[in-house]
Amino acid sequence: MDFTYSAEEDRFRQDARTWIRANLPAGWGLTVHESEDERERYMFRLEWEKQLYAGGWAGLAWPREYGGRGATLVEQAILAEELASAGAPEGLNIIGRNLTAPTLIHHGTEAQRLRFLPPILSCEEVWCQGFSEPNAGSDLASVRTTAVRDGDHFVVNGQKTWTSFAHYAQWCFMLVRTDPAAPKHKGISFLLVDMRTPGITVRPLRQISGESEFNETFFDNVRVPVENLVGGLNEGWKIAMTTLAHERGPEDALGRQIRFKRELGVMLDVASSQRRGNRAAVDDSALRQKLATSVIEIELMRLNCLRSFSKMIQGKQLGPESSFQKLYWSHVAQRMYETGMETLGPTAPLAAGDPAVPGAGMFQTSFLQSRAFTIYSGTSEIQRNIIAERVLGLPKSP
Amino acid sequence: MNFDFGPDQYMFQDSVRGFLADRWSTARLRELMTGDGFDSTLWQGLAEIGLPAILVPEVHGGLGLGFVDLALVLEECGRALVPGPLVETMLSADALARFGTPAQQSALLPAIAEGRCRVVPAVTEAEGGCDPELMQTTATKNPGGWTLSGRKILVAYAGLADRLLVSARFGPSGQAGLVLVDPNATGVTRRPHALFDVAARADEVVFDAVQVTAADVLGGEPSTAALHRLLDAGAAASALQMTGIAARMLDLAVEYAGQRVQFGRPIGAFQAIKHRCADMMVLVETSRTAAYYAAWALSSGPDEVAQAVSMAKAYCGDAARNVCNETIQIHGGIGFAWELDLHLYLRRAKSLEYAYGDATAHRERVLTAALLARGKAA
Repeated sequence: MDFTYSAEEDRFRQDARTWIRANLPAGWGLTVHESEDERERYMFRLEWEKQLYAGGWAGLAWPREYGGRGATLVEQAILAEELASAGAPEGLNIIGRNLTAPTLIHHGTEAQRLRFLPPILSCEEVWCQGFSEPNAGSDLASVRTTAVRDGDHFVVNGQKTWTSFAHYAQWCFMLVRTDPAAPKHKGISFLLVDMRTPGITVRPLRQISGESEFNETFFDNVRVPVENLVGGLNEGWKIAMTTLAHERGPEDALGRQIRFKRELGVMLDVASSQRRGNRAAVDDSALRQKLATSVIEIELMRLNCLRSFSKMIQGKQLGPESSFQKLYWSHVAQRMYETGMETLGPTAPLAAGDPAVPGAGMFQTSFLQSRAFTIYSGTSEIQRNIIAERVLGLPKSP
Repeated sequence: MNFDFGPDQYMFQDSVRGFLADRWSTARLRELMTGDGFDSTLWQGLAEIGLPAILVPEVHGGLGLGFVDLALVLEECGRALVPGPLVETMLSADALARFGTPAQQSALLPAIAEGRCRVVPAVTEAEGGCDPELMQTTATKNPGGWTLSGRKILVAYAGLADRLLVSARFGPSGQAGLVLVDPNATGVTRRPHALFDVAARADEVVFDAVQVTAADVLGGEPSTAALHRLLDAGAAASALQMTGIAARMLDLAVEYAGQRVQFGRPIGAFQAIKHRCADMMVLVETSRTAAYYAAWALSSGPDEVAQAVSMAKAYCGDAARNVCNETIQIHGGIGFAWELDLHLYLRRAKSLEYAYGDATAHRERVLTAALLARGKAA
């Protein structure tokens, strides 16, 4: 067990930090913030990602033949830490980088990897994820969108929902039903679909935070070349599990942890400066205990990630255990943002834009966003089923 | 960067688990509910596989390993409800190895390593717990050394101890430190406690003007650092044992839920049960994360000790309590029966929850440090 970094890794961190500082706009996070306008904000994120690519920081741990740098997982984690601590924008092609890429590295053909991985890194192609449907949420295996073979094409018909970034994406990976007669898990295939194909309609949905990151997406006789099938026909469920393990795994959680920790730091500052009668909010012992709980839980989120990460470095594949990471951090983060609202006390009902709101309304927005944590990439109820059945070996539910 | 144990450490864990499976059981533990509560055969066996020697330096006949090497062993001790004063003696060995004078070390450490000597901490008081700020036991300077007066509670197996490692405030400055006391010295009286952890033994020990010399003071001079080290090591050892208990209880819950049939199916097929088990798995795994990190800090991360230990003690205490409670709930009526072992785990975990500072105290310590770090001390 060793929590120190090698001299090389320290040098890498210093290089990353220097580059990030030099390339973020001057005054970033202090006087310069992301745009309030959603489209502008997303385009800025895309530009930032392209800048990262040009600087050689994209796809660090990917194999060189697909445009990566062949760096270590530790270096990749260091970069994620440095980006998050600098408050750098998240990027728009998160799904392409974190989900499409590992899925293709595990299950794609060499031709698919060579075709799709480099433009993910360069961000010429942004990806979205077509899993959920109006009637296939937690019961994901009951997807109804169909793909019927017609010559050297599949013809896709149906509707996907909660499709994050679909309105900015050039490509979508999706689960489609290719054998309606088979048991539901055995009739699903994994397809890569060009979003510019005729027959696709994208309609943005507004979220409870007021943002419109996700969409409903309609497919009307969309023709997809057969070479865009990943893995075998009707083997899509197994592939989806790889995708989901990455969506729920420690790589994703490490970057989030630093963002949570930064907001928790602001929360501590606000607790110290907010007055409650004749004392500071932070002098209230009940609030102190809650803030301490979050300090501990958020730090343990990082350490939980590092424990899984160490297994990955030893070559262990991500499996159903990654549900544990997601189940842990999603609830921990929700608890933290509830404590954030409690820290604001009487001013909690104010919102961004009001001059009297502490933290520029960040806590209110984050609190609302946090409600999604226990829903997306598999609800907590689904994570618990996975842990109980596939990790603990309990019998399947009726 | 590597947050995992090495092959040697896993091998040591396996050998301890194997030994305990062969030579120890909860049935045997129940026999210790009467009598002096001590199993000398088990003690001897644990000494033979080297447990009390782990933290003893090689020069004193020990294995010369660190706290991180002890982590998985302590988890196993919790898991199997290994009785005292083994862990207590290991904690004393750690304090002696780090802060003892050469004379104290050569007098006690080789004997500890061989299992011939038991040294138990006496650091808890009824009013202030083990908070050094609230400690009332005093050592007053006199021409021959020090006069020790005070009252400690929950001194594990004091009747079987060769030495007590007693915390006190020394002299007019009230500097905190530790002193080695012979439990049979004049002025020392013991009263066995009635304990919540029914198979354990501990005493209230009163020190009434007990004469000690400078040679008895750990390190020769009162050392606040030595006391803090002992308290941190004790908190981490408690966290590791609670982690082992929680892991064992989760196993018992999963096993029972898989075989107990109601409404025509194993109750583990019902989400009301399986979701509890999944939440318990999160608690157990995160307890491991917290407790292992604390063990690492005590070995190699001096700057991280305070935060790592307090995180672990707070988190593992809450987690173990929750997991024990849930396991009893999942067992239903039989879970409330004396004949089942569940309450033995609950009683041990619940006792450890209050040892070396409870979760509330450790959370307070974490927050104070976090606020200081942001340059805004409360």
